[in-house]
Order: sequence, then structure tokens, then C-alpha cells
Amino acid sequence: MVCVGFVALLCIVGGTIWLVDRTARFSEALQSARQQSGDLTRILSLAQDAETGQRGYLLAGADSYLTPYREATSSLPKAIDDLERNIGSDAAQHRRFDELASVLTKKLAELENTVNLARTGRRDEAVDVLKTDKGRELMERLRAIISDMSADADVRVTGLLDDQRGAIAFMKQLAIVGALVVAAVGAVVFWMVVAYTRQLDRTQFEIQKLNSSLEQRVEERTADLARANEEIQRFAYIVTHDLRAPLVNIMGFTSELDASLETIRGYVDAPEQAAIVPAEVRNAALEDLPEAIGFIRSSTRKMDGLINAILRLSREGRRELKPERIALDALLRSIADSIQHQVVEAGGEIAIDGRAAPIVTDRLAVEQVFGNLLDNAVKFRRLDTPLDIRIRLQERGPRVTVTIEDNGRGIASQDFERVFDLFRRAGPQDRPGEGMGLAYVRSTVRNIGGEIQLKSELGRGTTFVVALPRVMRTASGVSQ
Amino acid sequence: MKREAKPVIIVMIEDDEGHARLIEKNIRRAGVNNEIVPFTTGAEALTYLLGRDGSGEASAGRHLLVLLDLNLPDMTGIDILKKLKDNEHTRRSPVVVLTTTDDSREIQRCYDLGANVYITKPVDYDGFSNAIRQLGLFFAVMQVPETD
Repeated sequence: MVCVGFVALLCIVGGTIWLVDRTARFSEALQSARQQSGDLTRILSLAQDAETGQRGYLLAGADSYLTPYREATSSLPKAIDDLERNIGSDAAQHRRFDELASVLTKKLAELENTVNLARTGRRDEAVDVLKTDKGRELMERLRAIISDMSADADVRVTGLLDDQRGAIAFMKQLAIVGALVVAAVGAVVFWMVVAYTRQLDRTQFEIQKLNSSLEQRVEERTADLARANEEIQRFAYIVTHDLRAPLVNIMGFTSELDASLETIRGYVDAPEQAAIVPAEVRNAALEDLPEAIGFIRSSTRKMDGLINAILRLSREGRRELKPERIALDALLRSIADSIQHQVVEAGGEIAIDGRAAPIVTDRLAVEQVFGNLLDNAVKFRRLDTPLDIRIRLQERGPRVTVTIEDNGRGIASQDFERVFDLFRRAGPQDRPGEGMGLAYVRSTVRNIGGEIQLKSELGRGTTFVVALPRVMRTASGVSQ
Repeated sequence: MKREAKPVIIVMIEDDEGHARLIEKNIRRAGVNNEIVPFTTGAEALTYLLGRDGSGEASAGRHLLVLLDLNLPDMTGIDILKKLKDNEHTRRSPVVVLTTTDDSREIQRCYDLGANVYITKPVDYDGFSNAIRQLGLFFAVMQVPETD
């Protein structure tokens, strides 16, 4: 739409330039045509002056009559040149001009001849020449040619004026049409702008509405999440306690069994009974029963360990977080110092670089997270290489990331997710542990609004990236 | 001192019969021979302790020691504890909370409500029997006031 308006404007501008150019050419042509008329009149007048001077001289014989003759003959060549220049490229006029020039030359030659005859005292011969009427005829031809040429020049002037009027009328129409188009385009554009602005207003209003409802929805979801989270924690807590109750019985009565078995064993094993007690009874009392009791014991102990682990996890989730300003570099340094002796024993070192502004979070949680990660780095080091742990602090927008890179035994890519699962471990099971550490770390990091990621290459080392918000967020909202 | 001391009755409120048996065995092992009255639900125990009318007069003149589990099928031990400590006749009777719950807030709450001892049942049996036996020794030297 705007393009159409632009094209219309271009047309008007182009037309105007064309008209100006045309007017300039028209003025030039008009001027030359007018000058042509002037030149013709002047030539005729000069020719008549020269003839008048000749006649006067021949009649009176006084030299004073030769003055107009001389002035006229001397001015004529310039007048002829002017005329030729002003005719320009008009072929018909040129033809007439050539004729005019030749007639004029002949006339001037006749005049000069008679004047010369009279001056040399042969006045009668000169009058005879005059009497031939040749001079008069030449003069009449001259008049006729000049009249023709003047008429032609007039026609040209009229034609030029007509053309110019036509061009001006055309230009006027063009300007009117163009102005109408521009006005129409202006109106349409105005209407479009108004419509667009209205639409923009409406959209903005809708966006605001959506925004506020989105905030509300986020709040609702956050509340849902907090509830769900609480429910899970509560569930874990109840389950672990309810699992513990039967376990107390199993352990207790196993011990009672063991105590009773001790009595039986004392009886069966007594030397005086050796002959009476059958071999299978001896076997049962001395080997099978103790073995069974041993398995029950070890399994119960293991189960107790698992339940305690879940309980710890749920307790950490239920613990009330206390946000405070923490300088991560100092905290990391102190954790590194606390395991310094193990690191030195392994012939390694811990390097901390980068810095970040203090963050607001729960101290215990952060200590436990990095403590666990660094313990793991030491625990799962490669024995053939000096231990090398690099800790890097970086600020990234609203978060601070802590990268802990070790050169340990690494984790296979299919185990990346598994190692974060409760009770799951990866790689050779040659180190003590319950498979709790990373599950606990991830749960704790999430609890304080952070995220943990893992990159690793088997046999090369592992990199943990912990991203923590500058200000702690929990499922129930932003702290403080 | 002016009256002849009546024997102390140990009221055991414990829904898990296994636990009840283990507790009893270990109390006996510690040489405590007092009568043990076991209950597996809170309602029955309250009826015994406060009487059918709930006035507590049923316990007047008794020397009571209450062993209380917090996780009961019909009510929480906290409710029982509150009722005992609110009642004129039973509030001086010592209450030993013996339970699997080891939540610090729960423990605090029990002491706030007037529990005298809070013991977490250890799964490890040696620890368990040890705790009960020490409790038994504790019973032996403890002066339990007569309820009035």
C-alpha cells in the first residue's frame, strides 16, 4: 500500500522534472523563434535603408545619402549570421534562408554596382541599370521571402505555445491524480496504523492478562509441588519408622534364638552327650542354626542401614533451611583443608580458582554437598596416578557454578543417571559405601534450588558441575 | 514414708506384641519383678489409667510407671501423654516414652508435655536390651509417688 503511494509521489516528481526541462527547452525555442522574426524585420529594414540610400545618391548626387547605404551594408552580414543561428535546425526555413541570402547578395551587388558607377561619374549608366527594374524585382523577392519566413516563425511560436499549454494541462492532471492517490494512500495508511495500534493494545492487554494468570498458575504449581514434596518426605519418614518396628523384633528374637541356641549347644556339645546325640542333631545345633542366625543378623543389619539412609535423606528434606551469606571460595577452601591429609597421602593436590560474589543459601547443605563430592573424588581416585582435583568458581547470570574436576576412575556413560539413584553404585565395588552419597547430594542441591550435572570419561576422570542460585529458592518459594 | 509402700505397677502401652515381649524379658533380666500390665491400644490403656469416666480417680492411690510407645493403632502416644499429664491423679506418675521415632521435634514435644524419659528403640538388639536393662535398674532405684 505504501509502495503505491511512493510510486505516485515518484510519478509527480518525475513529471515535474520533465515539465521543468520541457519548459526550459520551450523558452529557448520560443526565444529563437521570436529573435528570428526580429532578425527578418531588421534584415528587411536594412535592405530598404540601403536601397533608399542608393536612390537618394543617384537622384541628388550628394554624399550624405551614402551614409545610410554604408551603415546598412555594414550591418547586414551580422544580421544574416544572427538569423542563420536563430533558425537552428529547421530545414524549410534553411532552404528559404539560403534563397534569402543569395537574393540579398544579388541585391547588394546591384546596389554597389550602381553606387560605384555614380561615384565614378557615370551616373547615366547607373540610372540605366535602375531602369532595368532588376533591382526592384530583387527587392520584391526579398520581401516575399521574408514575409514567408516571418509567417513560418509565427506558426512555430503558436505551435510551441500550444504544446506548452498541453504539457501544463497534462502535468496538472498528473498532479491531481497523484495527489488523490497520495491522499488515498495516506488515508489507508492512517487507517492501518490506527487498526494496528488498536490490535497492539488488545494484544498487550491479553499478554498482561496471561501474565498475571501465569503467575497465579506458577504459584499454584509451586504450592502443589511443595505439598507433593512434603508428602513424599512424610511418606519416607513414616515408611522408615514402620519398617523399623518389625526389624526390632527380628533382631530381638534372633538374639533370643541365639541365646537359647547357646544353651542347647552347651548341652549337645558336652562330651558325655557325644554318644547319645545323633549326628544330624549335632550338625543342626552346631552348624546349621548358627549359620542361619548369622544370615538373618547380617541381612537385618543391612536393612537397618538402608532404612537409616532413607531416614537421613528424608530428615534432610524436612530440615528447616537457614539461608545466610556464604563466600563459596572460603567454604570450599575449608572443606579442601579438612581432607588435606588424605589428598597428600594420595600424592595429590586440590586447586581452587575463579571467584564469585557470596551467595545466600543454607550453609550445612552446601558443606555436605561439596564435602561429599570431594570425598568421592578422593575415594574413587586412580591408584596409578597422583590425585588432581580442580575446583572452579564461575558466575553465570542468576547462578553461581562450582565445577569439581578430578582425574579419578571415571563413570561409564550408561551409569551417569544411575549413580544419582538411591543405593546404586557404579564401577568396581571395591570401596565401602551404601550408594547414598550422590543421591543425597542431588536431593540436597535440588532442595536449595540448585542443579547438579555430571560429565565423565571412564578411566579419565569425572567432572561435577553444581549450579546454585545466588539467592536460595526452595519449593515453597524464594527465601527471605 | 508414713504409709506402707505399695508395689509399683508398670503400665506398658505397646501395640507390637514382639516389642512388648522383648521389653518384658529384658526388664525381668534386670531383676525388676514388679507387675507389668500390658496394653496394645491407647483406648484400653486410657480406660485402665483414667477409669471409664476419664476422671483419673481409678488411679488414686496407685503407684504407676508408664512405658509408652508413640505409634499406636488407634491414637498417638502424644495424646495419651497429654491426657496423663493433664490429669490431677496421674500427672506425677513417671512416663517413659519408648519408641522408634527419633525425630528431634517429636522428642522435644514429648519432654514439653512432661515425659520423664525418652528412649529410641535401637534396632541393634544389644543396644535395645541394654537400654531396657538400664531402665530396669533405674526403676529399681526410682521413687514413684502415689497418685492422688
